[in-house]
Amino acid sequence: MEKQELIERINEVLIEEFEVEADVITPDADIKETLELDSLSLVDMVALIEGEFKVKIKGSEIAQLKTFGLLYDYIYDNIEK
Amino acid sequence: MTDTVLFEGTQLYQLIPQREPIVMVSHVYQITDTDIKSGLLVKEDNIFCANGKLTEPGLIEHIAQSAAAFAGYPFFVAGKQAPLGYIGEIKKLRIHQLPAAGSMLRTHIQLVSEVMGISLITAETTVNDTPVVSCQMKIFINE
Repeated sequence: MEKQELIERINEVLIEEFEVEADVITPDADIKETLELDSLSLVDMVALIEGEFKVKIKGSEIAQLKTFGLLYDYIYDNIEK
Repeated sequence: MTDTVLFEGTQLYQLIPQREPIVMVSHVYQITDTDIKSGLLVKEDNIFCANGKLTEPGLIEHIAQSAAAFAGYPFFVAGKQAPLGYIGEIKKLRIHQLPAAGSMLRTHIQLVSEVMGISLITAETTVNDTPVVSCQMKIFINE
């Protein structure tokens, strides 16, 4: 899957699950603020990403994935090509 | 359906911090890294029974304690005391029926994801293969 295609798929999944407008999701936007995530809904996002893209997001790395751009890179780097 | 029993009765005290009269798991049949199969024989004097049926809070507590047993197993293996856990959130709760006293609940808990100490699990409970309750639950384990 090409990276741009992957990014569009990630955005699509997040927009549907968290019911936000497409234009608020930009590479530099803060994920927690944009999706209004607390500790519990963060678990939902991780489970959603892991289930949808078959990647395992380590607990220790989640805190570093602050922006959508970082999330895209992480998934792209860890997804089975 | 007979399964080998891994833990039953007071053996469960090694997996969960709860004690009578609020112990809501009576059997554990299988535990792996990602799931547990548990059971509860609903007794007449169960604290959560009313009018001869197990109430909604009892079903939820049974699921939560089954999840607690799942979380407590690694502690048991390490020779440690079972940790305290808290229900963080319940989603997609479906209760199909309230089981009568004397019923044998069979529950399958599966770990979906674990993030920073919060476990997201799915739970399905049946009696004689008939659906009783299902839900998603977030459990916070206080290690």
